Amino acid sequence: MTAPFAVVTPGSALPGATAPATPKNLPHTGGEPNPSAEALRARFGGAVERVDVVWGETTVYVQGNRVLEIVRWLHDDPTQQYDYLSDVTAVEQRDLDQPLEVVWHLRSLPFRRFLRLKVRIPKGGRLEVDSVWPVYKGADWLEREAYDMFGINLRGHPDLRRILMWESFKEGYPLRKDFPLRGRFSRSEQLRQALDQDPEARYSMEELSVADAFADLPPDMRERLATGEKTGE
Amino acid sequence: MGLSRHPSLADTQTLPARATAERQVVSYDPKSQEGWVTTRLDFLVNWGRANSLWPMPFGTACCAIEFMATAASHYDLARFGMERMSFSPRQADVLICAGRVPFKLAPIIRRIWQQMPQPKWCISMGACASSGGMFDNYAVVQGIDTIIPVDVYVPGCPPRPEGLLYGIRMLQEKVKNERGADKRVRDEMEPDPNSKLYIPPDMIDELSEPFGNSVHQTRSAP
Repeated sequence: MTAPFAVVTPGSALPGATAPATPKNLPHTGGEPNPSAEALRARFGGAVERVDVVWGETTVYVQGNRVLEIVRWLHDDPTQQYDYLSDVTAVEQRDLDQPLEVVWHLRSLPFRRFLRLKVRIPKGGRLEVDSVWPVYKGADWLEREAYDMFGINLRGHPDLRRILMWESFKEGYPLRKDFPLRGRFSRSEQLRQALDQDPEARYSMEELSVADAFADLPPDMRERLATGEKTGE
Repeated sequence: MGLSRHPSLADTQTLPARATAERQVVSYDPKSQEGWVTTRLDFLVNWGRANSLWPMPFGTACCAIEFMATAASHYDLARFGMERMSFSPRQADVLICAGRVPFKLAPIIRRIWQQMPQPKWCISMGACASSGGMFDNYAVVQGIDTIIPVDVYVPGCPPRPEGLLYGIRMLQEKVKNERGADKRVRDEMEPDPNSKLYIPPDMIDELSEPFGNSVHQTRSAP
């Protein structure tokens, strides 16, 4: 069995690495951008729409159809080494005409860098963007949450379905601005629908295979699962 | 030797003289073979039940922290016969729901309640379990009494351990005063849709508009 992970020393790619220091006296805007932003401009040119620096954190707005390519390069390139995906989420502005933003928070442990990628998706059409699951397997649940809460369809995600709300939740996407706080249905209807859920719904075999956990299960459990037995009982 | 009746059963309000008489100490020599005691069967059963309630902790939020504090040595839930936490509903007597219950958990808590054997009781601990509390939103059940019957509501956000202990003592009082002959206590009644008194849930919603009540609240959106 090969080593499941490689040990990464934070800051190992920095020359004369010292302990990280908290930056002080950061300007609100216009601070020094993350060097990766310039590298992205040089490599992808027009795909980079805008670079913002707010409180020392760099946000790069990129074109929606290039995002998987860009993330893959940031992950694989030895001069970038963004080896950790912190979060995938979305932002809807209070101005409802503004496009919806999908946000990726990337962190490079060897370089001690933090980069925020954003894609603006205009409303009115299908909200769709590439999944980064082929690069970061940890994006699985994060993207399911973005789908569950904002209704963003992540192309190429292996198992895109609700994660926080139950699967038969019919009221829409709760974190969208047009979603009423108490939901769309009456309390009794909400309770009726909630009680109609199947408490037996558990991890499917597909889910276990996707997580690559199936092969690591004990042999007897693998046999029982292969015969169609439900897990967790 | 003689007839002994438990003092708590005497109605001191209406029969003070008799109660005073019954509070007299009955002397009993343990070495003698002649001592005997008689009591009501359901008093004895209830006494046993009330002092050995096994709780099924259903802790979902910060109330569960207070519940753990109640069970720990300082407040010591074991003093009231709740020594054993039952993490299986099949061996539990009282469901203590500590914390908010989202709609996704609604069928789970109902199933746990159905899995508990009779006799069973339920304590709703804290504002969220009792009424949804501050979580008046799309995701949280507005009081677990919309799913399962509740015997004791403990207010607070979260309640202090003293509050929970008070609620448990109240439940013990309730258990001690149950009558075995009273079938209504243990029978689970489903609402009868053919009854003239039956109001369907959507009608309750309509009637409570626009005022709302603790369970069916008014819509906040068009």
